[in-house]
Amino acid sequence: MFLPYFILLIAFGIIPVILAFFTSMRPSMINPDGGLLNYLIVIQDFRFLPAVINVTTFLVIYVPLMLIVVAIMSLLLDTLKGRWAIGLRTAYIVPASISGAVAILVWYFMLEPTYSPYREALQALGITEGTQVWSQENLVGIFVLMTFFTGAGMWIVVQYGSLQSIPDELLEAARIDGANQIQIGLQIKLPLIRKYLIYMAILVFAAGLQIFVEPFLISASVYPGIADNWSLNQLAYAFAFEAANLGAAAALSLMLLVVCIIVALIAIYKTDFFDEAGVKKK
Amino acid sequence: MTNTIDSRTVQENSGRDNARRKDRILGLSGRGLVWLTLILFAIASVVPMIWLVLAPSKSAADLITLSPFAFGSFEQYGIAWQNLMVFQEGRLLTWVWNSVWYTALIVLISCVTAIMAGYALATAPIPFRRALLLTTLVAMIVPPVALVIPLFIEVTTIGIYNTPWAIILTSSFYPFGTFLAYIYFSTSIPKELYEAARIDGAGEFGTFMRVALPLSKGLIGMLAFFSFTANWVNYFLPYVLVNSGEILTLPVGLGVLFSSTPGINPMLGASILPIRQPEIALAGLLIAVPILIVFLASSRLLVRGVLAGSVKS
Repeated sequence: MFLPYFILLIAFGIIPVILAFFTSMRPSMINPDGGLLNYLIVIQDFRFLPAVINVTTFLVIYVPLMLIVVAIMSLLLDTLKGRWAIGLRTAYIVPASISGAVAILVWYFMLEPTYSPYREALQALGITEGTQVWSQENLVGIFVLMTFFTGAGMWIVVQYGSLQSIPDELLEAARIDGANQIQIGLQIKLPLIRKYLIYMAILVFAAGLQIFVEPFLISASVYPGIADNWSLNQLAYAFAFEAANLGAAAALSLMLLVVCIIVALIAIYKTDFFDEAGVKKK
Repeated sequence: MTNTIDSRTVQENSGRDNARRKDRILGLSGRGLVWLTLILFAIASVVPMIWLVLAPSKSAADLITLSPFAFGSFEQYGIAWQNLMVFQEGRLLTWVWNSVWYTALIVLISCVTAIMAGYALATAPIPFRRALLLTTLVAMIVPPVALVIPLFIEVTTIGIYNTPWAIILTSSFYPFGTFLAYIYFSTSIPKELYEAARIDGAGEFGTFMRVALPLSKGLIGMLAFFSFTANWVNYFLPYVLVNSGEILTLPVGLGVLFSSTPGINPMLGASILPIRQPEIALAGLLIAVPILIVFLASSRLLVRGVLAGSVKS
């Protein structure tokens, strides 16, 4: 019963990592000896530090923004009852269907003053040309906007769902004790969904670290070259397919993977989210 | 965005006042602010989708001159579609078909393997169970993008590069599904049921087929939901693992349209292809609409699935 999944796990979960490790040790044109020097070559590459700074800046804005907005919006949504909450929840889920390549398409139009539904607002800000928006210093903001927009609504719905599981008696007791809505929200509900929010932050961080599609597609098609090698994954891609240096690409991929694995282990062992899963020793 | 933050600040400030005044303010303006925030966020959520749905109803010229929310005509959808079909003699249809059958196979293989594995983890004595569970959890939290380059290396090594199987097989590894199934089978179905079936002489597989599976319709829906929504839109993996035009998926094909037509690429203004903004929007809709329908129909599954790790039954 376990075997088919086990084969997939080994074949596409474990073996690629092992292969990538050996590949990362392989010699290349610029490093005839191979070995750990490949990792050093990646780190010393002139594009590495800017990409680290880009992705870090992105994460520093994106992760807290998601946490704060999702927490507030789901708490606010939870103060409503019945039909209204269902209607709003339905609206919030809509942007989740605009992701990846479609997100690039949609945001191109949203930020292009000639097409945008927000054209009046953009013009009020003095933006009449798309190039005023699509400049390199705005890229972090644009990618935060895209990824935030795709994910926030979905997570609000999820966190709202977790708020719904709080027993009514608990909230009623707080109300009788004289707590108002804000106190109930911040002092009772928020601590109760804390672990779900932390879990979300961990997933959002791991996904953000690996950002690729948004800068890649913008740079490959819409505004050629605007975000070349902007993210670390783009750099790995460039090593593999532009410089034909698979060793360096594998090395960079593995470095990113190790960070994600550490984050995953923190999620499993240092948070209480997976307590039910029975992985931790009791 | 600004509105969200503004209303929060206002609320927090009012929250620091003395209790009674606070309650009264909350009762009137606070309530209004909550509504305003929630509704503005809802409007911001649906605007891009409404725009995307309406865009192909207008010609490229109308898109600029008419209001962003004006409806053009139904005929324009047909015209935009015919124009899209001009691109490499209907290549788009191939991409649609590829996306449909790749995704269908991925959903099938990933869900079947995940549900069986989850069942086995929950009920059978498997050697190294805890290690396997841990590996599954790690694989589930690490985003799939992290393995793209390693998978590319593997796929070229075993010789399935640039075949549909490169996408289908690699995407069928579904640790999240296995974890969901494991949680479901270890919490939602009483252990006595399995034991009763075993005592009646059913083997492990028989118990699974006759007892566990009929009780897991909700689980199957949830697994299919997450597998479909992740794979239908996947870009990086198929982009790297195949490169021939005739085996691309719809999202990767959309990327090709971006870079080879003047739709959203200002540098290609003088192309003779009739593929402009409405056509590009229509191609985008082909990807977004199936996902939208699934999300709207199954938001319940979304909540249950994401929180499954820690919710007691």
